[in-house]
Amino acid sequence: MSRALARRALVALLASVATLRPGRAAAQERTTLGGYGEVHYANRTGPDTPGIVDLKRFVVYLAHAFNDQIAFRSELEVEDAKLEGAQPGGEVALEQAYLDYRLSDALTVRTGLVLPPVGIINETHEPPTFNGVDRPGFDHDVIPTTWREIGVGAVGRVPGAEGLSYRVYLVNGLRAAGFSAAEGIREGRQEGREASFANPSFTGRLEWARPGLKLGGSFWYGGTADADPALGTGAFAAPITLLSADARYDVGAFLFRAVAASIWVSDAEAINTRYASAVGSRIAGGYLEAAYNLLHALAPASSQKLNAFVRHERYDTQAAVPAGTARDETLARRITTFGLSYKPTYNTAFKGDYQLLRNEAGTGATDVLSLGIGYQF
Amino acid sequence: MIQAPPPTKVAASIVRLFGPHARVDTLHVDSAAVLRISAGDSLLGFAQVGSVIGKDQPITFLVAIDPANRLKDVDILVYREPYGGEVAYEAWRKQFRGKAAADPLQVGRDIRSISGATISVHAVTVGVRRMLAELTAWHESGAIR
Repeated sequence: MSRALARRALVALLASVATLRPGRAAAQERTTLGGYGEVHYANRTGPDTPGIVDLKRFVVYLAHAFNDQIAFRSELEVEDAKLEGAQPGGEVALEQAYLDYRLSDALTVRTGLVLPPVGIINETHEPPTFNGVDRPGFDHDVIPTTWREIGVGAVGRVPGAEGLSYRVYLVNGLRAAGFSAAEGIREGRQEGREASFANPSFTGRLEWARPGLKLGGSFWYGGTADADPALGTGAFAAPITLLSADARYDVGAFLFRAVAASIWVSDAEAINTRYASAVGSRIAGGYLEAAYNLLHALAPASSQKLNAFVRHERYDTQAAVPAGTARDETLARRITTFGLSYKPTYNTAFKGDYQLLRNEAGTGATDVLSLGIGYQF
Repeated sequence: MIQAPPPTKVAASIVRLFGPHARVDTLHVDSAAVLRISAGDSLLGFAQVGSVIGKDQPITFLVAIDPANRLKDVDILVYREPYGGEVAYEAWRKQFRGKAAADPLQVGRDIRSISGATISVHAVTVGVRRMLAELTAWHESGAIR
């Protein structure tokens, strides 16, 4: 670039900056760095169970807007602080990586590694957004959070129906080979790693929002056979169907949450025969949570929050079992969690809770004391 | 550089808030552009366009006040974020109507949040509070009249 041209470009740049409000401007192309993370301390009751501290998640959010319509967004996660060969635990993974092409408020085309829009936590999983140090067990064993697969879809507002929005995706399917009795479909996820596209699957969500209230309904449908002849080679062979509903309601100092989901594994018998597993033919459950912001009464002028909460989860990864599979009553879990979340800002949290882990069999009752911090930006 | 929302969106917003026959003049204060809206000899109010950053994108909005420095309405002109578009819903925006600079304008106090849109809700609320304070101060000091 010639010097004169460079000077002219600089003058033009300064002139355009001058017309913008300081601190409110942005270049047309912009790169954003963000992140979230959480550090946990957990101590289970019983002998020989020392407390454990873990840098549970460290996530870097990297986004780039190419223009007003096209943006790339990603989350790169390190779990349990580090990976070491041959040692269990630890994970480095992409949680999301997709390109958004925004055509209108009603339609954004999203392509890449996306989050199936199922339940509450899978899409909104930053630690300050939920109560309790750890995510609910339900969001691990029933809805396999953080669930991500590769595909293409559409998101947007439903025109002419204020408050209503949708997301629908076509993504790679789950693999029945990974299903298990205790964690349901969890290890059937492929998470963007050379994933088989033998069973294209559909997932979506309809959501209705107004101040203080959000209601959602989600689904997933797709085959899981992964072209295994024992299960069928059709695109929808060994299908699973997932339906879930959720509600979040904040009123005054109270915050309520409820989620329920049911997963039908229609060929569970064939899957169990093929993989010597004990997958339930139905996986189901949910939770109810109520929280009260103590500062609402103690310090009404404060924008900080001190939420006292209680959550009760009931779920069973063998709510029904196919012929030839014995039902394990310890998988019918009953988890009660109560604790405090102190949020000096809406995007930071100091948490403590006490969990009562129980099951229908009445065995192995365990209590867990947890402490943690979480942030997002 | 962006942030200049489509002029048609600003015009549509002014028409919606002040009616089709309002006259719009642009005033410059402290490098900011304030729209003065009038009809005949009477002042109808002021409006200003601004942007705040949500999770990773600017959210461009318009704030309009009446001659008594009461907030008439907030309009979301351009929304570019992947989640949190609920701030454009009238049910959320209408919470700002009638607010004055002396009001808290704080999420969780006089402004209700929307789950899953927390970042956008906080960003827009802070932006509106700041803009309402500025417009009010300028109007009271005579910098805009």
